[in-house]
Amino acid sequence: MSETVKLGQKVPEIELTTYEPTTNKFGSFKLSDQVDQKRWTVLFFYPADFTFV
Amino acid sequence: MGCDIITVSTDTEFVHLAWRKSEKELAKVHYPMAADPTGNVSRLFGVYDENTGLALRGTFIINPEGVLVNSEVNFYNLGRNIDESMRKFKANVYMSRKTSEVCPSKWKDEGDKTLTPSEALVGAVHEALQN
Repeated sequence: MSETVKLGQKVPEIELTTYEPTTNKFGSFKLSDQVDQKRWTVLFFYPADFTFV
Repeated sequence: MGCDIITVSTDTEFVHLAWRKSEKELAKVHYPMAADPTGNVSRLFGVYDENTGLALRGTFIINPEGVLVNSEVNFYNLGRNIDESMRKFKANVYMSRKTSEVCPSKWKDEGDKTLTPSEALVGAVHEALQN
């Protein structure tokens, strides 16, 4: 199983398919795009849709 | 300083779409909702529960260099306090600009008391926090 990333470490490349509420389209998220654009990222994990975040 | 919030669960993007459209509480949600059905990204951050296939309530702040600077993980049964998440985010942005300063526990926002570690601060934190 893959290693977990620790505080202070560079996060390996992440690529995820997204649903984009603003355009009602599917899209993608790439961490390297954030780095290229010098933007902060907050990843907010939660257990499941249709539950009670 | 730009910041993007991305939510992640092990649901697919199709379920995200359906949930966003049916749940009126989510009407104001505009951030991307990412799908991690393999759990690989959840595993990378240590929040994947192998017993359930779900991700725990993890919040991770990644700076513009791609370095993980803050993490918080709550179990299923405890919600996150958004004020505390904002405090952590603001503190990290502040400290990235003022790299010699650190934010003590009561720091809430720009202008609040910070500490600057040095020889003079050793044994004198109490006094430094008073000024």
